[in-house]
Amino acid sequence: MKKETSSEEVTAANEAPASTTRRRFLGSGLAASAGAVVAGSSAATALATAAESAGDEVLEIPASNKILGRGVVTVPYGLPSKFEADVVRRNVEWLTPDRAASISFTPLQDLHGIITPGGLHFERYHAGAVDIDPATHKLAIHGLVEKPLLLTVEDLRRLPSHTAIHFLECPANGAMEWRGVQMDSVQFTHGMISCSEWTGVKLSTIMEMVGVKPESTWFYAEGADGSALQRSIPLPGAKDQFGKPLPEFDQNEIHKDVMIAYAQNGEALRPENGYPIRLIVPGCEANMSIKYLRRIKFTTKPLVTYQETRHYTDTTDDGRIRQFTLVNEANSVVTFPCPDKHLTTPGYYEIRGLAWTGRGKVAHVDVSTDGGKNWKEAKLVQPVMNKCLTKFTFDWDWDGKEHIIMSRVTDETGYVQPTLKQLREARGLNSLYHKNSIQAWRVLATGEVENVQLPTV
Amino acid sequence: MSNSPLSKSIKTLLTGLIPAVALASAVSCAGTSGEQDKKSESEDTPKITGVGTPIKESQLAKWDISVFFDGDNLPPGKGTLTEGEEIYQAQCAMCHGEFGESVRGYPKMLGGSMEEYIETAKHNENNVAIRGINNHWGHAPTLWDYIHRAMPFFAPQSLTVDQAYSVTGYVLYLAEVTDGSVEEIDADFIKSVKMPAADLYYTDTRPDVHNKRCMKDCYSGEPEIVAKQIKGNVSVGDVDK
Repeated sequence: MKKETSSEEVTAANEAPASTTRRRFLGSGLAASAGAVVAGSSAATALATAAESAGDEVLEIPASNKILGRGVVTVPYGLPSKFEADVVRRNVEWLTPDRAASISFTPLQDLHGIITPGGLHFERYHAGAVDIDPATHKLAIHGLVEKPLLLTVEDLRRLPSHTAIHFLECPANGAMEWRGVQMDSVQFTHGMISCSEWTGVKLSTIMEMVGVKPESTWFYAEGADGSALQRSIPLPGAKDQFGKPLPEFDQNEIHKDVMIAYAQNGEALRPENGYPIRLIVPGCEANMSIKYLRRIKFTTKPLVTYQETRHYTDTTDDGRIRQFTLVNEANSVVTFPCPDKHLTTPGYYEIRGLAWTGRGKVAHVDVSTDGGKNWKEAKLVQPVMNKCLTKFTFDWDWDGKEHIIMSRVTDETGYVQPTLKQLREARGLNSLYHKNSIQAWRVLATGEVENVQLPTV
Repeated sequence: MSNSPLSKSIKTLLTGLIPAVALASAVSCAGTSGEQDKKSESEDTPKITGVGTPIKESQLAKWDISVFFDGDNLPPGKGTLTEGEEIYQAQCAMCHGEFGESVRGYPKMLGGSMEEYIETAKHNENNVAIRGINNHWGHAPTLWDYIHRAMPFFAPQSLTVDQAYSVTGYVLYLAEVTDGSVEEIDADFIKSVKMPAADLYYTDTRPDVHNKRCMKDCYSGEPEIVAKQIKGNVSVGDVDK
């Protein structure tokens, strides 16, 4: 009889909604450990429930204590708990006419650190994902070099390796919000960003091997997918098609961190992220980090290709078109609370979020809970690294009233994340890319959270 | 390479990647010669040899199809407007429209006039929907490049060089960039085309906003707060196309 009851309870627990199950676990005296790992709003619910239920009730032994669990390699490649099934990439169907030239969004609301799990890294395809056999894939390095080389994936794995944690961000991140509030979700307002530990070979190592000629002022990289995506990347001395020099930072800093990656978070790249090899151009708009990399050519000029003349360019309100906006400037967002994760009862909450900059390291993050009138500095969670997501936290005692929460990053160059008003005044309303303005979330008295804009301040 | 401004930093980087033990042993081996002792550590680190296969530019002929803005690397060949129309109507019109007007959200070939484009931009009227080759593309040779490398969407790199000239010529005509008076399309013709937007481009001038790190009483009064400002599914336009 007892055994049968346990069995039924386990089945029931497995099929129950996550929140119910979490409460049951917490009620079992596991509040401290479970509370630390579950999502904030659920934790708050659970703590409140635990406090309210602290009566005379004698707690039952959890069903999971009374069964034999699964053996090793039941799941040879591990998967998230079935209770985390809603933590997935999502797309916006109406945004693009075809999924093969589209984008999906990382669920920032459900991530707790700076590393994006491989299966949740946002996807961006220009002609779909392809499967490439690493045994036959080749990378050509040529152009203004002493010794043009063909490298296999095995060759690359033999060379001095380089590992670094960098974010990749599509410059369209936030673009749907230029003209007004549209997406009530941090996944859709900011989910075109992910961050991984990349391992591969530094471009400088390859440049030394092939003997890049001093007159090289650009190189371009090209992919082996159906779009054969190509982007031009500046070197010292780079000038545009009119003979005007690129910004100093772009000429002198971007190339230093460039690498050819074969691994992501310790395992081979995922097909969605360029398997078997991709370029990583840290800090820059992610389409420059060419996936399925097959060719790098050193040159004296940029291509000014489709991606550089039609696509990743911005119309400004002087009627002109801004090009080579390569760097992703400093940006930040509160990921809890957010429209995807509400508050429950008044009391303590840890406000959490992510900050980043394409020009180096995050220096400060400030948080406001009164719509940007007053700000206090948030704590930066170590490590704080170059061109990498930085997590921040901020202790908050919610009084149960309406608040507007914002975060604002300052990077090591002194650049302060702008307001939406400042961005619109500088660029007008027809810019699409590089919208890095301060994001506001309104916490209602009910604990619900919604996306709002403050266009006048 | 030794005269390259990049050389020094690259060597420094390389040095950093060699384990300290390997460096120490290299230095001690070189210790028999005073002259070698004076050499920098970077010159004593093992050279990377035996990795990769030398290749000639001629072997990359099928890969190196990238065309620069000025027409560099446009291959020999020629097409006709007549052939361009046939191919376009059969393989392109289902997405880009019979007249280049766009179907189902795919990019327009013919967008609003250059004047309309500039005026809407200056007055902050949404002009994403009127973007086309005739108002937002800098150089005709890179249009040839894109059609040749990535179109048609469902069968990239299926057009021959001559067919790419034909289609590019026809698309420039549909977009009203050219008047259709030239039937034969070749590299010289593509290079001679001046795109209407060519002079509108300017390279990044950011940072273009300079916020201050205000901490207290940053503004007075109650701000306007808007939520759910956009009703329905309003795309910013062709974010992806």
